[in-house]
Amino acid sequence: MTGARSKLECAWRGGLIALLVCACSGEDPVGRAPTEREPDELLVYAVNYPLAYFAERIAGDLAEVRFPVPADIDPADWSPTPGEIAEFQQADLILLNGAGYARWLEHASLPRGRRIDTWSGFRDRLIELRGGVSHAHGPSGDHSHTGTAATTWLDPTLAIEQARAIAEALAQARPPRAAAFRKRLAALVAELVELDAQLAATAAKLGDTPLLFSHPVYQYLERRYSLNGRSLHWEPDEAPDPKMWRELETSLEDHPARLMIWEAQPPAGTTRRLDELGIRATIFSACANAPAEGNFLSAMRAGAAALEEMGELLSPP
Amino acid sequence: MSNEKFRLTDLRFQYGDGDFALRVPELAVESGQRVAVIGPSGSGKTTLLHVIAGIELAQTGSVEIDGSNWTALAEAERRALRVQRIGLVFQEFELLEYLRVLDNITLPYRIHPSLSLDSTCRDRARALAGTLGVGDKLARFPAHLSHGEKQRVAVCRALITEPDLILADEPTGNLDPANKHRVLDHLIDCANERGSTLVLVTHDHDLLDRFDRIIDVKSFSEGADA
Amino acid sequence: MREIAYLAWCYLSYHRIKTAILVASIALITFLPAGLNVLVSQSAEELTARAESTPLLVGAKGSPLELVLSSLYFESETPAPTTFAESDRVAETGLAEPIPLYVRFRSRSYPIVGTSLEYFDFRGLRFAAGRPMAVLGECVVGAEAARELGVHPGDFVTSSPEGVFDLAGVYPLKMSIVGVLATAHSPDDRAIFIDVKTAWIIDGLGHGHQDLAAPDAESAVLSRDGDRITANASVVQYNEITAENIDSFHFHGELATYPLSAVIAAPHSEKSRALLLGRYQDDDASQLVVPTAVMDELLETVLTVREYAVAAVAIAGSATLMTTTLVFLLSLRLRRREIATMMKIGASRSTVAAVLISEVAVVLLLGGILAAGLTLATSRFGSAAIRALLLS
Repeated sequence: MTGARSKLECAWRGGLIALLVCACSGEDPVGRAPTEREPDELLVYAVNYPLAYFAERIAGDLAEVRFPVPADIDPADWSPTPGEIAEFQQADLILLNGAGYARWLEHASLPRGRRIDTWSGFRDRLIELRGGVSHAHGPSGDHSHTGTAATTWLDPTLAIEQARAIAEALAQARPPRAAAFRKRLAALVAELVELDAQLAATAAKLGDTPLLFSHPVYQYLERRYSLNGRSLHWEPDEAPDPKMWRELETSLEDHPARLMIWEAQPPAGTTRRLDELGIRATIFSACANAPAEGNFLSAMRAGAAALEEMGELLSPP
Repeated sequence: MSNEKFRLTDLRFQYGDGDFALRVPELAVESGQRVAVIGPSGSGKTTLLHVIAGIELAQTGSVEIDGSNWTALAEAERRALRVQRIGLVFQEFELLEYLRVLDNITLPYRIHPSLSLDSTCRDRARALAGTLGVGDKLARFPAHLSHGEKQRVAVCRALITEPDLILADEPTGNLDPANKHRVLDHLIDCANERGSTLVLVTHDHDLLDRFDRIIDVKSFSEGADA
Repeated sequence: MREIAYLAWCYLSYHRIKTAILVASIALITFLPAGLNVLVSQSAEELTARAESTPLLVGAKGSPLELVLSSLYFESETPAPTTFAESDRVAETGLAEPIPLYVRFRSRSYPIVGTSLEYFDFRGLRFAAGRPMAVLGECVVGAEAARELGVHPGDFVTSSPEGVFDLAGVYPLKMSIVGVLATAHSPDDRAIFIDVKTAWIIDGLGHGHQDLAAPDAESAVLSRDGDRITANASVVQYNEITAENIDSFHFHGELATYPLSAVIAAPHSEKSRALLLGRYQDDDASQLVVPTAVMDELLETVLTVREYAVAAVAIAGSATLMTTTLVFLLSLRLRRREIATMMKIGASRSTVAAVLISEVAVVLLLGGILAAGLTLATSRFGSAAIRALLLS
C-alpha cells in the first residue's frame, strides 16, 4: 500500500491542532543525519516510524536512532538494498514491529541478539487477516498464510507495550542509564494514555455508526475502540474504477456508512463522487512513515480530532 | 763412529698360534746400503721386515736402529719413530680404496699426531707423484689405477716422510717386467738421493745385481748368513 | 681431530649408497616415534582448542561424537536433525546465546554451513574482503575455499545435489559471494557460510516461484478454490535468488519446525552454563553436549593407539638398530686389512677407533638432522593430514 500525502490538505484538516501539539511536544523529527556518536551512545535502527519515534523519546541523547526508509515509501513494502541491510547489521538494537511487518525481514540476515521484538508482550492479541490469495503446492502440499495485521501502534495500549519493550532493551544495553530511560518512558506512556482517552471519547461519540476504511490498515484501531468499520482496498493516489464503485454501492446496502477514513487526501474527483453518495472523507494517517510535519503523537491526535470533528458533523442534531 | 743403520741381535720371534720361528743370531746393516732379502715362501722375509719396523715385537733379542734399542721402547714410541723414519712398501700395495691418490700418499701425516699435514707436504707429495709418473692421477681413486700405478703410489706414500730406512716387501711381485724395473729404479734412486737404507724383499733373482748385499732368511733359520 | 674426521668423511662419501641407507634407517628409527608424538600432540591441541571454544552444543538425541564432529569440523555424517524451535528454546531460557547450525549440504567438497551472523563474532572470524550475508542467497566463503576455487566477492558458487538421482529433493542453488574470510587456521577456512534460511531453501523447504495469481501462470495451476490456489509440479521455481525475484521467495509452514543439525549455546556465565546443563539433563528428545568432554574421549582413544604405535615402532626401531650395528660390525671384518695397513704405517689403535667412531657419529648426526627435518615438516604440515584422517 503506497500513498502520496498532500501537505496542504493535512495542514488544512488538522493543521492548527497539529501546530499546537507540535509546540507542546517540541520533538524533532526522527532520523537525523548520522553524527559522530559518543562512545556510550547506542545506535538504534527501526523498521517503522512509530518505533523510531518511541526510541527517540525514550533514549533522548543517549542513542542515535535511524529510520532509513524514504519518506514516500510505506515501510511495510520497503525493499532495502543489501548495503542498507548491512547498515542495520551494525546497529546495537534493531527494533522490529512483529506481526510479519516489513516483508524484507523474511529475506534478510540480522543478528538475533540485537533484534528487539517489540510485539513480544502481545503475541496472543494479534489480528489474523481473512481473505487475500493463498497458495499450496499439490493437493496435500504446504500452504501459505494470508497474513497478520501489522499496524499495531494504532492501538495506543499496544503502542505502550511496544514502547515498554524498547525501554527494556535500552536499559539492558545501558544499565547505568536505565533510570533515565524509565523516566522518559513514563512521560511517553502518559501521552499515549492521554491519546487513548481522546480516541475512546471520539469512538464513544461515534458509537456504532457505520464507517468505511479506504484500506485495511485500521484493524487495531477498530478493535480497540469497537468501531463499526468495513475496509475497502482503495488507494488515496488512485481513482477507483467502476467495479470498485459498484462494490462500494453494494456494501452500502447493508453497511450504510457516511464516513470514510483515508490514510491521506484522496483525489478531488473521488471526494466529489463520495459526497454524491453521502459519504464524507476524513484523514487519519496510519503514521507508518514520518509525517511531513509534527510527529507520531501529533499526527495521531490530529487524526483523532479530524474523526471527532467529522463525527459531530454527521451526528443527528 | 758406527755407521750401522740397524742391528738385530739374538732375535727370536714366534707367532702365537704357529710353529714358525724366526731366528736371527746377528744381522747388521749399514746406513745407505741396498739390501735384498731372499728366501723361500714362508721363511720369514715379511716377518723380518715387521720386526725391524717394530710392527711385531720379538720374544727375545733386540733391534737397534741408529743405536737405539727399539725393543726396549713402548709401543707408542716405536710407532712414532716408525711413522717418522721408516717408509713401508707392501706387496699388495695396500692403498685405502676410499682415499684419492694424493690423500693416500699423504696418509702418514693424517694418522699420527707427531706429523702435521701442510702445504709443504702436499707439494712434496705432488713432486713425488710426478717423479714416479702418477702426477696426473692425484684426484683418482685406486680402483681406477693400474697395478703399476698403484705400486708407484704406494712407493710415494712410503717416501713422503723422507724416511732414512725404507722397508719394501716384494714391491715388484705383482708387476710386469717393465713396471718392475721402473719401480725398483725409483726406489733405489730415491734411496740414493736421500742416503736412505733400503731393505727390499724379493723373489726375483733378476733384480739381485742391483743390491749391495743379499740376505737369505733361510740361512737365519739354519743359523747362517748367505 | 680434523684429519680423523676427514678420513671418516672420505669413507662415508665413497660408500654413499651404504651411508645413505644407514642415515635413512637412523632417521626413520628416530623420526617415527618423534613424528608420531608431534603429530598426535599437535592434532590433539587443535581439536581440543576448537572444542574448548565451543561451550555447549544442542542437538537431537543420538551420537554425541557425530554431533560434535559435524558441528565443529563440518565433517562426518549429518546427525539426526533437531528443529529451529530448539534455538528459540535456548534463547528463551535467557541463559545462553543460541547460534543455529545447519550443516548438510556441500558445494563440491566444501561444506555449506547454514548459520546466523553471530557465528562470525563467536568464532572471531574477520573479513578479508566484502561483508557478511545480508539477504537470502548470499554467502561468505572461507579463506582456503576461496583460494582453491579462485573466487572473490561478486562471484558465485552453486550447491551440489545430494545424490545423482536426487531429482525431487535438494536442488542446486546458485549463491552470490559477498564476503571472503581471512585465514582462521580452522575448519572455517574451507567452509561456505550462508544464512540458515538460505540452507532451508537449498533443502527445498522454502522457494521462489512465479506468481500463481498472475495470468501467465495458469499452466502451473492445479486448481482454484476461492482465494486458495493449488499449484502443480510444473510451476517454475527459481534456482538463483536475485533482486528481481527475491520477493517471491517464501517458506511454507512454521519456521520453528524447520531442521537444524545443531545449536551452539554460548552461556552468559558459568552459572548459566550449569543451569542450562541441568535443564537438558532429563530431556528425551534433545541432548546438550560439552564438546571438550566428547573430544577428550575421542583423543583418549587416539592417545592409546599412539602408545601402542610408539611401542611397536620402538620394537621395530630396536631391531633396526641391532641390524645396523651388525652391518657395522661386519663391515669392520671386511676392513681388517685397511685397519692393519694404517696400524702398520703408524696409526695407533685409538686413532683407528677414532676414525671408525667418527664414521658412526657422522651417520648418527646426519640421521638425526634428517629426523629433525622430518619432524619439523610433520609439525608444519602433518596435523592437517591427521585431522582429515581422524574426521573422515
